[in-house]
Amino acid sequence: MTFTARGLAACLLVVATTGVAAAQDAETQGITDKEIRIGMFGPFGGPAYLYGKISMNGAEAVFDKVNESGGVHGRKLVLVREDDGCRAEGAIGAVKKLAYESKVFALMGGACSNSTVAARPEIERAGIPFILNSATADSITDPPAKNIFSTQTTGSGESRAQLDFAIKKGAKKIALVAMKDAWGMSRYTPLMKYLEDKNVKLVENLELAGDAVDATPQALKLKASGADAVILVLYPKPAAVMMRDALKLGYNPMWLGNSTISDLKAFGAQVGLPGALDHFVTISSTRFDPSDPKLKAWDDRIKKLFPNDELSPFNFYGLGSALVLVEVLNRVGPQPTRTKFLNELGKLKDFKSEAYFGPITCNAPTSHQCNQNPGWFAWKNDKLVEIQ
Amino acid sequence: MMYFSYLFATGLTTGAIYALVALGIVVVYRATNVVNFAHGEMFMLAGFMAWSAHVTFGLSYLSALALAVLGAFVLSIVMYRYAFKPLMALRDPNPILLVMIGLSFVLKGAARDVWGGKGDYLTFPPLVSPEPMQFAGIMIMSQQLVVLVAALLVMAVLLLLLRYTRAGKFMQATADNAKAARLVGLRIDRVYMYTFGVGAAVAAISAVLMAPLTLLNPDMGFALFIKGFAAAVLGGLSSIAGAIVGGLILGVAEQMAAGYIETGLQEVAAFVVIVLVLIFIPNGLFGTKVARRV
Amino acid sequence: MASKLLSMRAAAVVLFALLLLVPLSGLNQYYLYIATLVLIHIILALGLNILVGYAGQLAFANAAMFGIGAYGVGLLQKHFGVPFWLGAPAGVLAAMAVGTMLALPALRLSGIYLALATLAFAQCTVWVMMHWISVTYGASGFTIKAIDFAPLPIGSDHGMYYLSWICCVLLLVLARNTIQSRIGRAFVALRDHEIAAQSLGVNLLRYKALAFAMSGFYAGVAGVLYAGVLSFVGPESFGLHQMVLQLAAIVIGGTASIAGSVLGGTLIVVIQEIVREFKFSMEIVFGALLALFVLFKPTGLIDLVHLVRPGWREKLHAAGDEARAAEAPAAAAGERTA
Repeated sequence: MTFTARGLAACLLVVATTGVAAAQDAETQGITDKEIRIGMFGPFGGPAYLYGKISMNGAEAVFDKVNESGGVHGRKLVLVREDDGCRAEGAIGAVKKLAYESKVFALMGGACSNSTVAARPEIERAGIPFILNSATADSITDPPAKNIFSTQTTGSGESRAQLDFAIKKGAKKIALVAMKDAWGMSRYTPLMKYLEDKNVKLVENLELAGDAVDATPQALKLKASGADAVILVLYPKPAAVMMRDALKLGYNPMWLGNSTISDLKAFGAQVGLPGALDHFVTISSTRFDPSDPKLKAWDDRIKKLFPNDELSPFNFYGLGSALVLVEVLNRVGPQPTRTKFLNELGKLKDFKSEAYFGPITCNAPTSHQCNQNPGWFAWKNDKLVEIQ
Repeated sequence: MMYFSYLFATGLTTGAIYALVALGIVVVYRATNVVNFAHGEMFMLAGFMAWSAHVTFGLSYLSALALAVLGAFVLSIVMYRYAFKPLMALRDPNPILLVMIGLSFVLKGAARDVWGGKGDYLTFPPLVSPEPMQFAGIMIMSQQLVVLVAALLVMAVLLLLLRYTRAGKFMQATADNAKAARLVGLRIDRVYMYTFGVGAAVAAISAVLMAPLTLLNPDMGFALFIKGFAAAVLGGLSSIAGAIVGGLILGVAEQMAAGYIETGLQEVAAFVVIVLVLIFIPNGLFGTKVARRV
Repeated sequence: MASKLLSMRAAAVVLFALLLLVPLSGLNQYYLYIATLVLIHIILALGLNILVGYAGQLAFANAAMFGIGAYGVGLLQKHFGVPFWLGAPAGVLAAMAVGTMLALPALRLSGIYLALATLAFAQCTVWVMMHWISVTYGASGFTIKAIDFAPLPIGSDHGMYYLSWICCVLLLVLARNTIQSRIGRAFVALRDHEIAAQSLGVNLLRYKALAFAMSGFYAGVAGVLYAGVLSFVGPESFGLHQMVLQLAAIVIGGTASIAGSVLGGTLIVVIQEIVREFKFSMEIVFGALLALFVLFKPTGLIDLVHLVRPGWREKLHAAGDEARAAEAPAAAAGERTA
């Protein structure tokens, strides 16, 4: 070969190996001999911090416990948190920083639907494994992306479950009270579509703001409509206000809650009126059962790590996905790579943990939504009771 | 008719909440010409302080109330001394507004750090039993009645304070003409300071009374401040009675709009009121027109 | 010659030349993203400063106009398939039109009244963005395709960076020229004493409308660029949080200063990243910065720069004018003595 041809071949070889090396680096980035770095993004402040900072505290508790017994295959787990401010700009920045600057092995989190939807293309481009644990917008996991999985039930899944449950329990006149923010819309839109599919007409379709202190107009309309089941697409605070104002009018039909209302004992106290939970059922992706002894251990750990806090259902989003992550890392073995991790995660079947109601089963490649089994609960005789 | 009366009655009770917040804003504005943007956060902090006193430390309801009022009073005096006073002398009202916005974020963030880890929002036990009462055929939560009565009481006390006590007359004089007041020997600085304190005390009392109804979370301050401001502006920022009337009107308007037009309007009613009032009746219903000093 | 090298103009040229090289410097994608956001926030700070710093109108609507620009270009693409290049001017014009409309209430209101009226207006705008679902896709927002820069051989990330750079430089020059003309002087007269300014013949409506229109224009351009960078438009980006960030930017950088706007726009993005890095509370940090600067350094950080470089103090007239003004009395004096 001539000099230039050899030179060119050498250059191409260097570029090729650098490319391959770069790809290999990405496969094991975030892994050292001593530790595995996992990133989480969500809001630290603002009203949605519960799904961000508090959820991350839950994950931290899991890592703390695992590290106490030596970590995963001898490597300690390190949580790298990033604040996305619940905004698209913040989420894209947080993902870029975690993937390219902090170079973590995998991501968990995604608290606000909007910001996570905006960040999805970025996550896909980076190829970094991502376990979604709080946001419920369908478009984050549907259509499935190779590296995105979810332990959170989707908004549409919950909406369908709510309507199905109401019909199953024989409700004839169904009404709806919804928040029209991003979270609410991720449930409202699929619910409207499902109603159409099932040919069911709502007797009342009402809106209530997340920070409302009063729901009397809504309560009056509901009572006048004679609805025997009311689907609530509301956070716990407005839901408590709604139920309180309805109970005040002597109106207490079957109330169908959603996965944000998972601490039923506290919710009953928040409504504050007798008979509040008599006809209240809620669906939940996570299982917050105060009578479960395993919860006490987690409560103690949370209090140890974060002295001002108490164990709350919001810790469970992060806690649950962290338990799944640790299980998959254990199965992958002592030489983890991204590809191996994603394979194991995709194969996960019937993984039971105290954080989730049903078993976690990821059906790669058809569906990457691993939590298809939310449970229905009610609060009877001071205890959490499952409803079939 | 029943529908209408229900909406109306509820409007009065939620309006009483807005009226109490508005009172705190108006009291301070009258004497100092400053709208305290951090008033909502003062309210929120007082609520949390009372919660900690009552629920965490087990103090009685009244002790918790007293502690909250004291805490708010002290905090507002500190804020006055270090944040307001240096800027009061300027002719420009903008810096004060910016400082208060900054402080409101600091207070909100601090509250989130201290109390935010306990869950979504905190419940506060009501003063009286939570059973709803019948009142001319309409069911009202007894706590809502407490708030309504309290609003009227606080208004009455403030009016009496301003008219018949020396302190009140000092506040009135400073409001009318600060320079002249200084010339006749009033210590304006003290007047301003105590006015802020009174405003904060009103916020604290309102917060503790309302907490069982509104439930406590770090973000409640801004939402209530905006509604309180809308009520105050509607009534006329310098009128105490106006604050009450404005609050009640706003409460009823919200309920009517939600009940008869669309439930989604409840959220935005306060903003629409602010915009309409400021465009068409900038002095509000009872405010006095102030000539611009050149 | 030496003084020319150390002049503010020279420094600006060097700064922006360096910025031009960022995509080629090999820094990873995270830094390119941050740099693009810096350019966008500089544009926002310039527009806000014209309205608040120079014209003295403390209006809270800038974040809403920012949003109108983004929604404008995004919705045109989403509903009608209008490409970015055609939709962008429409988004900018929409923001500018809304901004100009706000001048009307500004004629009657000032101080806290203007602030809260514009705040209420901004919240109403966000409410519309969230509730007019058939048009705006409501609170969930919507994604738009990444901007295609064909036939240029650059990817979307790099393309948006260069586009933002170009807009930033052009708008910077426009701002400087405006401030150094009689328009700028009219703004400052309005800010300092409205009634005195009127008595000197400054038309209140015309100049207030112009100030609002300009800030709307700048916010609209920033909004259009923002939609292109994020490929996502949603109402949460345009609320009170964003507004407070923008105010903090000009307070920290320096109100009534072009260089201060550049400094503030940059710092606001950089500080956010630093706060993210150290896991402090954004709310506490930004609230405290805003309050502390207003209390102790209301002229902003640019003032510190002026202490070291007094020649960098910004004047309200162009350099040529100064020379002519200096000549005229000298010539007159010369005539008298001659």
